Amino acid sequence: MGRIAPLLAKEFLDLIRNKTALVPVAIVTVLSLALPFGIAIAIPSLTGHPLGEDADLVRVSHAAAAAASLSDDGRIQLFLFQQFLMMFLITPVTGAMALASHAIVGEKQARTLEPLLATPLGTFELLVAKVLGALVPTMTISGIGLAIYLGGIVLFAAPGVGASMASVRTLLLAALVVPASALVSLQAAILISSRVNDARTAQQFGALIIIPLAGLMVAEFSGSVWLSAAALAVIGVALLAVWLALTFVSVAAFDRETILTRWR
Amino acid sequence: MITASHLTRRFGSRTAVDDVTFEVGRSEIVALLGPNGAGKTTTLRMLAGLIAPTSGSVAIGGVRLTRTNGSSLRMQIGFLTEAPGLWDRLTVRENLRVYAGLYGLADGESRIDRVLDLFAIADRGRTRTAELSKGTRQKVALARALLHDPTILLLDEPTSGLDPEVTRSVRLLLDERRAAGCSILVSTHNLDEAERLADRVAVLDERLVAIDDPAALRARLTTGRTIIRVAGDPSLCIPAVRALLGPAVDVVVERSTIALQLPHPDRQTPALVASLVAAGAEILEVRAEMPALEDVYVHLMGADGGGA
Repeated sequence: MGRIAPLLAKEFLDLIRNKTALVPVAIVTVLSLALPFGIAIAIPSLTGHPLGEDADLVRVSHAAAAAASLSDDGRIQLFLFQQFLMMFLITPVTGAMALASHAIVGEKQARTLEPLLATPLGTFELLVAKVLGALVPTMTISGIGLAIYLGGIVLFAAPGVGASMASVRTLLLAALVVPASALVSLQAAILISSRVNDARTAQQFGALIIIPLAGLMVAEFSGSVWLSAAALAVIGVALLAVWLALTFVSVAAFDRETILTRWR
Repeated sequence: MITASHLTRRFGSRTAVDDVTFEVGRSEIVALLGPNGAGKTTTLRMLAGLIAPTSGSVAIGGVRLTRTNGSSLRMQIGFLTEAPGLWDRLTVRENLRVYAGLYGLADGESRIDRVLDLFAIADRGRTRTAELSKGTRQKVALARALLHDPTILLLDEPTSGLDPEVTRSVRLLLDERRAAGCSILVSTHNLDEAERLADRVAVLDERLVAIDDPAALRARLTTGRTIIRVAGDPSLCIPAVRALLGPAVDVVVERSTIALQLPHPDRQTPALVASLVAAGAEILEVRAEMPALEDVYVHLMGADGGGA
């Protein structure tokens, strides 16, 4: 395990010197902030039409956010901010996908993989370093985005919305489901990256991972699905189990011979 | 010491390496010589434990290389890949630092200083490798291969594309490593390099065509002719030669030399020289004709129609 740290340090250094690789995650983070504050706060105040005038929003917000002490506007804001919190599921996934899908095939194309494999570095260590190398920076950016999001709610949303956001559900989503879904998608991207011989192919396959997350978001926004704290806990644990399984599959599927001898 | 025993590697229906057996001893340099596609890189990769042989085995210091002990045995191996394989956005020192960490070297920084000094690139430590010349990149890759003081060096085309000065410094370094007890296997196309560098040359063309020291390989093609170079017209020597060896002896005049086949050169050469001197010839050089290693290589590869 001691060999993960030097390779991880290399991943971070490489990223620091190639900051444009983090632009996608920065863009998605900015969008994750701009959209909810635009829809829940800026547009109603600019148009003069409070959210409480929308009967549909009032109806679905009752179902999803039963905070009795909040005004109609506050409850709808809470509902929307809760829903947009799901955006932070996608933020690290989309951003890190570019990094992770490039992880193995990128090393191969740069011809840096063979000397690396000639060291005592094991496959598990290599893959863990690659996952963490993509996860840590994107989760950091995503975490900063989340802090701004929650801080912004406290500052700009209706009174009581910020306090209502500070719930077990938010904590589970931010601290368990978001990192777990990022881990699953990154591990899947690394697995794909070690099985295809072209970074573009890896990214195209990797993009498919977004589909179930996007589906979940759409279901939540439509009001047809409301994931309770318990449901999120179950999902988070399940995602971690999937990640572990994917890690073992990645190690087993990492065919260094094919990578070294067939890829060009 | 590294030993290859009946190494065979197939990729689908194609056989890249076929039943290759040899060993590289302590303080020995063996050059692996062969044309493109002869299986040199595949052989090196099998020896480094990067790919498994289809059949046969590799032993390092007498220990058979397996999937389970590959990681620990690779600690003993320094492997220079065909391409330097440096991370372009990292500096020279940062590149080496990662490898020092991967090898678990507690004194990584001092070892990095040492190898940078060894290759006279200490002043490039803070330079990103993308900015280096090809020769310096190759030096860094070699420094990386030596960082952990391996007892076995596997070098794939170490001087390919390098200028003569860098090539010479690499050659000197390999001499030093040999003196330090390393077992060194160098793959190369370069016959001159193989001859200058190696204690033995292994000629590979999927299978091991020949392995021997360069002189012995050349001796396989020796014609047995004795060459005598003289000042002045060499044809004037012919009467003296025929007087000593008989009129039937076949003497070939080639520019300033005469070439002739002596049945017993060790015994007959002194007498021949004495009679030529007595006949007034000024002898500049007497030697047994030896083919160039290139001729041997071409012969072994069958390019001259002779085959191995």
